[in-house]
Amino acid sequence: MVLLHVLFEHAAGYALFALKEVEEVALLLPQVEQSVLNVGKFHSLVRLAAFAPFKSAQSALDNVNAVSEGILHEDLRLLLETHMPAKKKKALLGVSDAKIGAAIQEELGYTCQTGGVVAEIMRGIRLHFHTLVKGLTAQSASKAQLGLGHSYSRAKVKFNVNRVDNMIIQSISLLDQLDKDINTFSMRVREWYGYHFPELIKIVSDNYMYCRLAKRIGNRKELAEESLPGLEEIVMDSAKAQAILDASRSSMGMDISPIDLINIESFSGRVISLSEYRKGLQEYLRSKMGQVAPSLSALIGEVVGARLISHAGSLTNLAKYPASTVQILGAEKALFRALKTRGNTPKYGLIFHSTFIGRAAARNKGRISRYLANKCTIASRIDCFSEVPTSVFGDKLREQVEERLAFYETGEPPRKNLEVMKEAVAEATEVVAELKKRQEKEKKKAKKRKQREKRQLEALAAAAAEEEENSLLDMTTETEELKTELKKKKRKREATPELEENGLEAEALPRKKHKAAIDEPVASDKKKKKKKKGAQDEDED
Amino acid sequence: MRPGFSPRGGRGGFGDRGGGRGGFGDRGGGRGGFGDRGGGRGGFRGGRGGSFGRGGGKKVTVEPHRHEGVFICRGKEDALVTKNLVPGESVYGEKRIAVEDGEAKVEYRAWNPFRSKLAAAILGGIDQIHIKPGVRVLYLGAASGTTVSHVSDIVGPEGLVYAVEFSHRSGRDLINVAKKRTNIIPVIEDARHPHKYRMLIGMVDVIFADVAQPDQSRIVALNAHNFLKNGGHFVISIKANCIDSTAAPEAVFAAEVKKMQQENMKPQEQLTLEPYERDHAVVVGIYRPPPKAKK
Repeated sequence: MVLLHVLFEHAAGYALFALKEVEEVALLLPQVEQSVLNVGKFHSLVRLAAFAPFKSAQSALDNVNAVSEGILHEDLRLLLETHMPAKKKKALLGVSDAKIGAAIQEELGYTCQTGGVVAEIMRGIRLHFHTLVKGLTAQSASKAQLGLGHSYSRAKVKFNVNRVDNMIIQSISLLDQLDKDINTFSMRVREWYGYHFPELIKIVSDNYMYCRLAKRIGNRKELAEESLPGLEEIVMDSAKAQAILDASRSSMGMDISPIDLINIESFSGRVISLSEYRKGLQEYLRSKMGQVAPSLSALIGEVVGARLISHAGSLTNLAKYPASTVQILGAEKALFRALKTRGNTPKYGLIFHSTFIGRAAARNKGRISRYLANKCTIASRIDCFSEVPTSVFGDKLREQVEERLAFYETGEPPRKNLEVMKEAVAEATEVVAELKKRQEKEKKKAKKRKQREKRQLEALAAAAAEEEENSLLDMTTETEELKTELKKKKRKREATPELEENGLEAEALPRKKHKAAIDEPVASDKKKKKKKKGAQDEDED
Repeated sequence: MRPGFSPRGGRGGFGDRGGGRGGFGDRGGGRGGFGDRGGGRGGFRGGRGGSFGRGGGKKVTVEPHRHEGVFICRGKEDALVTKNLVPGESVYGEKRIAVEDGEAKVEYRAWNPFRSKLAAAILGGIDQIHIKPGVRVLYLGAASGTTVSHVSDIVGPEGLVYAVEFSHRSGRDLINVAKKRTNIIPVIEDARHPHKYRMLIGMVDVIFADVAQPDQSRIVALNAHNFLKNGGHFVISIKANCIDSTAAPEAVFAAEVKKMQQENMKPQEQLTLEPYERDHAVVVGIYRPPPKAKK
């Protein structure tokens, strides 16, 4: 005889149901199936053993997060410990998710069961839940779902794991947009200022330089020998500056009124500031990529790396792709056309913009593209799952690609993959150790600073409290509480910017959860080495 | 079967609904890139300015559609409309039509078949959508909540829509829609893992799925096993290109139908969405049909 209990998680709370005793659990199935549609019959089969409603919206949210991740929450543990029969051997617990079943089994020792009859019972309970639990109507049950659904979804959107990746994605898109816009705007400046000084276009072809010149020169008739140094400063070429001066004297451009000139100047000023902003943005992207994906950017460059991340949606997504997908990422249209017509599939997508492919001979382009895609995948995985990302592996991978390129051209055999990776691991452990030391130092400093601030704050608060006590002696605990709350808030506010400073760590944490198995980078590298070896073998075939 | 008015092409027409969704493992997130909600691609009744506007202008009459909860607006041009649950608010920039019904004013919202596969299926003359006032619907692939808002109009205050969407970006918009409509429960979670959101969802009468994933039949079946009543219905929109871009669309649809049959889901009707979408089909069926009465 076994006694089957079933755990049902609802938005309103946890419920534990007891089923009538049977010899074999599997024998229940036809009975359950028969009775599931009929409330009365189902009642005779299933009995509510305990119901633990959530105390507050916050605790409900905590619980739903735990259930979603398959973690045993304290509330659930309490319910099970108090209401499950003491004889653990005999008791069988039906749960709807194998993961939480494993967690319960590990922590509390109850044998858990999923699927089959348990799934059927769950369906029945879900259908009749509001009639099985006293004091719960269908309406209030769905109200609980509504509230919890909103808070759960809001939390999901709020704590997005890919925050830093999103910054990269937006900035690379903005960079592309800026390139396009600056080009069109510059063409507009050329057209516009070209009425007045058509020869300048021929002399200066660079957009940014042209706009600066247009702003500097203004009315070409006012150009004289004295303005030569100013021109030279912009074009960085004395011959060109002289040419501009000469051209201005014999220009066939029409005269222009000052008011038109003012407009042209203000517009070219805008284009100049846009170009400068673009430079700043590129720098920002570079630093972000250096933080988030150092290996990938060392291997293939920041811009192409950022494009890959942007196309995949996030670094985690990119790390999940196989190398064959990375190779043709960005060439989907060509790929699907080729698949449809059974033609040749494309050799490269976004990684075409890497310099390696341009440097390879035509017949080797496909090979180097495949090799590079392999290395990119490895680099993105290292970046994504290592605790302290460094560019060591990226540099080594880059060397490997260089050697492979040389091998195709000259036949000089590249180093063995194993050797390179051994070197890389040794270097990486050194670098990581150093980085960690530095981080700890910084943390200590931050702690000290925090303590100092705390002390100051407390002193301030005490002073304020004294003042208030003097003025209002009768005010008691309530204000006290309020004050502490305020203090807490203040502290929180101070703590947040720091978090943002260390944004990298904060971001890295949730990612690590995905691969909790990897404790130290060395272990993961070993795995990767194997993979790499395989990849290279393939290549050599 | 076809309702009394023909579809109008206008602009919009074909073209992949909302950018990045096509193939290549880009799950949801890629939609549009810029967050292009509202305006933009629709172009339904494009050229005509304002004469449909609120209150004034041409005389329009609204009559109920064969499907309960859906209406047809007869004016200079006919349009599919639903009764606005939150009068005075547009969800995604669609037209609103106010009609005086005795003393009370009732507001309707136009439903663009080029933007919503459910609307396209209704205009295509589908026999049953099973979504009617008072039912509970599980909506997989809710995106920004445009179609969801119309479903919430149809089921009304007595019904309930559980809207599941994976992408955070469009989930943000979905939550905003759900804030105004209390019969929508937003769930930002992967529809592949129903056990992750099992706490938030009760038994439903209908599952509507528009997930455009290679394994969408499996996704729907998983959700049906957990949340769909015996004898409940499912409405699945299938985009052939998302499942297999090399095979013929008809073959893809047939294969999907076969997969459903293996999962205790009995397809009853299949309909292509021409001319609103290319190579799309809507399959309607019943889950765990009740055994036939013995004779």
